[in-house]
Amino acid sequence: MFHLPLHGLRVLELSMGWAGPYAGRLLADMGAEVIKIEAVKGWDPLRSSTIQPPETKRPWDRAPSFNHLNRNKYGCVLDLANLGGREPFLRLVAVSDAVIWGDDEAALDRLGLDYRALSQANEQIIVVSLSGHGQTGLGAEQTSGLSHLTGYAGGPPQRIGMRYGDPMGGMAAAGAIILALWDRRRTGCGQRIEVHGRENLIGVIGENVVGYSMNGREPFRRGNRHPSMAPHGCYPCAGDDQWVAIACEDDAQFAALCAVIGQPDLASDPRFADVVSRYRHQDTLDGIVAAWSRERAKEGVATALQGAGVPAMPVLNVPEVFADEQLRARGFFENVSHAVADTWEMEGPHWRMSESPGHVRLPAPSFGEHNDYVFRYLLGLSEDEVASLKAAGVTGRVPDWPAQV
Amino acid sequence: MTTLADLRILDLSDGVAGAYCTKLFAGFGADVVAVEPPGSGHPLRRHGPFADDRPHRETGALWLYLGTNKRSVTLAIGSPTGRGLFRRLVEEANVIVESFPPGRLDPLGLGFQALWAIKRRIVLVSVTPFGQTGPRAGWRATNLASFASGGQMCLTGEPDREPLLIGGYQAEYQAGLQAFAATATAAQNADALEVPQHVDLSAQEGMASALETCLPSWAYHKQDISRRPGAAEGAHTIGQLLESEQLRARDYFREIEHPISGRLTYPGPPFLLSALPWQTGRAPTLGEHNDDVFCGQLGLSRQELTRLRAAGVV
Repeated sequence: MFHLPLHGLRVLELSMGWAGPYAGRLLADMGAEVIKIEAVKGWDPLRSSTIQPPETKRPWDRAPSFNHLNRNKYGCVLDLANLGGREPFLRLVAVSDAVIWGDDEAALDRLGLDYRALSQANEQIIVVSLSGHGQTGLGAEQTSGLSHLTGYAGGPPQRIGMRYGDPMGGMAAAGAIILALWDRRRTGCGQRIEVHGRENLIGVIGENVVGYSMNGREPFRRGNRHPSMAPHGCYPCAGDDQWVAIACEDDAQFAALCAVIGQPDLASDPRFADVVSRYRHQDTLDGIVAAWSRERAKEGVATALQGAGVPAMPVLNVPEVFADEQLRARGFFENVSHAVADTWEMEGPHWRMSESPGHVRLPAPSFGEHNDYVFRYLLGLSEDEVASLKAAGVTGRVPDWPAQV
Repeated sequence: MTTLADLRILDLSDGVAGAYCTKLFAGFGADVVAVEPPGSGHPLRRHGPFADDRPHRETGALWLYLGTNKRSVTLAIGSPTGRGLFRRLVEEANVIVESFPPGRLDPLGLGFQALWAIKRRIVLVSVTPFGQTGPRAGWRATNLASFASGGQMCLTGEPDREPLLIGGYQAEYQAGLQAFAATATAAQNADALEVPQHVDLSAQEGMASALETCLPSWAYHKQDISRRPGAAEGAHTIGQLLESEQLRARDYFREIEHPISGRLTYPGPPFLLSALPWQTGRAPTLGEHNDDVFCGQLGLSRQELTRLRAAGVV
């Protein structure tokens, strides 16, 4: 067994919300020492993402979203907008490997903490900015073309029910930081990385850009259908809002499906005998499959089809994902105890490594939990120096928390 | 050339996930060799639309897009001769990316333990819908079935209709982007500390991890806050992207010439690294680099390559 792969890597995370902290979480899960930096007046808004009863102690340490996204990290309160915070921050940069900046570069510039200032403090520093992940205006899902491709046949574009660009931006940023480490081992220099939400999402629909430049035709929305496979869709199952996804890739799988639904003759029916005919008659075909699935539980439908070699899967809702036997069998969910927020289960690392399996090693930091570690141990400040930072409002253990959140 | 040139990746995968992972590496300068089955080539070559609407293995938009900056060899790894050659390629590689059903590589003598015996610090990245273990490890899944497993499908569509796939191949692309981060982590670790690694990446786990507020709310409060939100305002078309002044000012799109498909517009770098400039090479034709790799790198003679070709190995 070996150390976790990013053991020894120190990352400063100034970003808030979803995208940047998602990158930090991936790195922390793989062993990096990620220090989340907040300010008394500028704390991560996810801390207030859950309504708490008024008498709750330290409500800012209890929000499930914050505690999921920031596990395995350290927490330090250091206000960069305060002049007294600049010098300790640049000293921290000097002993770190990477900085994740969540806002746009203009914000860095305004604070006088642009890439040049950081690289003067440490020429090996890797600086990542994530832009276009803001909470206002059109999301990257709309501006990238992804929403345009999403929707029922003949219907309007659909919203993606999550800020899809955020985790995608976080994954990209995490991978890019590691590539920069590879480069740094060869050049001795850091670099700057820019992840733009819109451009990153165009990357995951890129074949549509190439296709459009071939023929000038806009791709059309086709719901859950496929350009060549049929049947291919979500079919209703017994119960309220219960669905199963089924896809037939070829003739053999279609014949297997016909046998499972008890209508083996359909496989040789001229309307469905080959790929082209099935595609042409898919409305009829969808009706036949739905009439069969509607009476049955989705797990049973999927298991029967998989047993015959047909790709099928119950459409899992969120509670079902949490209870899913496949995820459970792989030990995906781990129990985590938090000093303020109690014990509950959260998802483990996103991928498994045979020689250095990762786990949730630390709960999310309470506000300012590791101030001493950063100021006293990493920066070597005296107790008096830390006290004067506190007096100046540069650091603290309690956020400026509105009476009603 | 960038400093990633000495990162050598063999791509045995057959779907969008593995291909997007290795496209990103190739784009930033790594040496990626797509190992394709002789004859039909990579399955992604079969997907349209096609240049001039003529279906051809060199003109499909999906392959043209996902194959950029890669080299292509053909090799039948199912045959003993092909396996022998593949093992020699492994000696010179850092990373192998694959997406076979779990357990398929072991009987070929190409499982993680066997690869490790060939190369001390090899990284094997397995990208599959459900991972290498568990009761559903052997289940078949297309992009649709895979997407259904991760919880995200219940977050898109009209509340009173069926849940929706989000555009294109998002179960696969998400797994591909995760695989990129995972592969980079393992490769960097192998490079710095000589630690080998078998990365087991499950698309389902990746999607479940990206559920944002929904999963934590359920895990902690047993509140299911997921909703299907319905239609979107202001969605940009592909044509609008290509005309976007902002993207143009950033030189985002790239024109790339291809000997058979001609000059087409491609998305540029999905993210920018100041010291690793995005490469603008095209997708390789099937087996375009057989000579380079088998003769140039492995030292086979032309006659030997001809013999392998005749035997259907390349």
